[in-house]
Amino acid sequence: MSKTGVQRVEQDGRARKVALLGMLSAVAVALSWLEGMLAPLPGMPPGAKLGLSNVATMLAATTLGPGSALTVTLIKGAFAGLTRGLTAGLMSLAGGLLSTGAVCLLLRWRRCPFGWIGIGVTGAVCHNLGQLLVSYLLTNAAVLAYLPLLLLFALLAGAATGLTLYILLPAVSRIWGKGG
Amino acid sequence: MKAGRLWRAADLILIFSVAAAAVLAALLLWRPASGDPVAVVAVAGNELDRIRLSAVASGYDLPLDTEPGVVLRVEPGRIRFAKADCPDQVCVNSGWLSSPGQTAVCLPARVSVRLEGDGGVDAVVR
Repeated sequence: MSKTGVQRVEQDGRARKVALLGMLSAVAVALSWLEGMLAPLPGMPPGAKLGLSNVATMLAATTLGPGSALTVTLIKGAFAGLTRGLTAGLMSLAGGLLSTGAVCLLLRWRRCPFGWIGIGVTGAVCHNLGQLLVSYLLTNAAVLAYLPLLLLFALLAGAATGLTLYILLPAVSRIWGKGG
Repeated sequence: MKAGRLWRAADLILIFSVAAAAVLAALLLWRPASGDPVAVVAVAGNELDRIRLSAVASGYDLPLDTEPGVVLRVEPGRIRFAKADCPDQVCVNSGWLSSPGQTAVCLPARVSVRLEGDGGVDAVVR
């Protein structure tokens, strides 16, 4: 039974992976766009995003692996760059790469002490720190004044993404037929 | 893929650490400065101008030669981004800055305006 399962995944694997990757990229881009539509939060550095689209990259990381999560992040960054300008693209990439990297490491860590909330918070904190780093490099230390609020927003956004993943994953595993 | 739990003990520790870091950063970075607000205008990390806001007699516009273009509005005791040729307008929405420690930034143009406190010689003169 498990053998046929493995064979099936090997046969359908590539096409299925590409399809899911496309879907997740579309979700990431849509969430990123939606977030851009929201009124900017008071106290947030210009161009910084909460990182709601991290749900999509984290879903890619959990179900498809680090390479796919990286692809989704790059596509999202390219979209931000094309639609909102180079600065927004850089911000998106810096936040996305750092948070995706951290989340992938946590997921790979066998004895990872964190639950989904902790993984979500780690991703969000890295996301915001990456964006702050780019803001800092583009301007000067004046932007460091945003750090406290960025950390607090990361707690909220991270807990929200963690909770969302926890709710989504069982359903997604069922539908996509991959092990949970 | 592992069946993770929503919550673990370490999550609480993580959340408290991040919250503590936020509070610590706020205490260190948001120290209220006293004295006259001095607007430090920087472009791409280089200081362009220092404007003692209390010494401003009448309001004027300060256009900056950046891409996208930015116009600062300077008035007695306060300063703001009046206009920016960028889509998000975050800097313009930051509004007036009038007390030391306040900051507004336009990232696309790489312009930052930060109010520092100057309680030096002028405070004595006053």
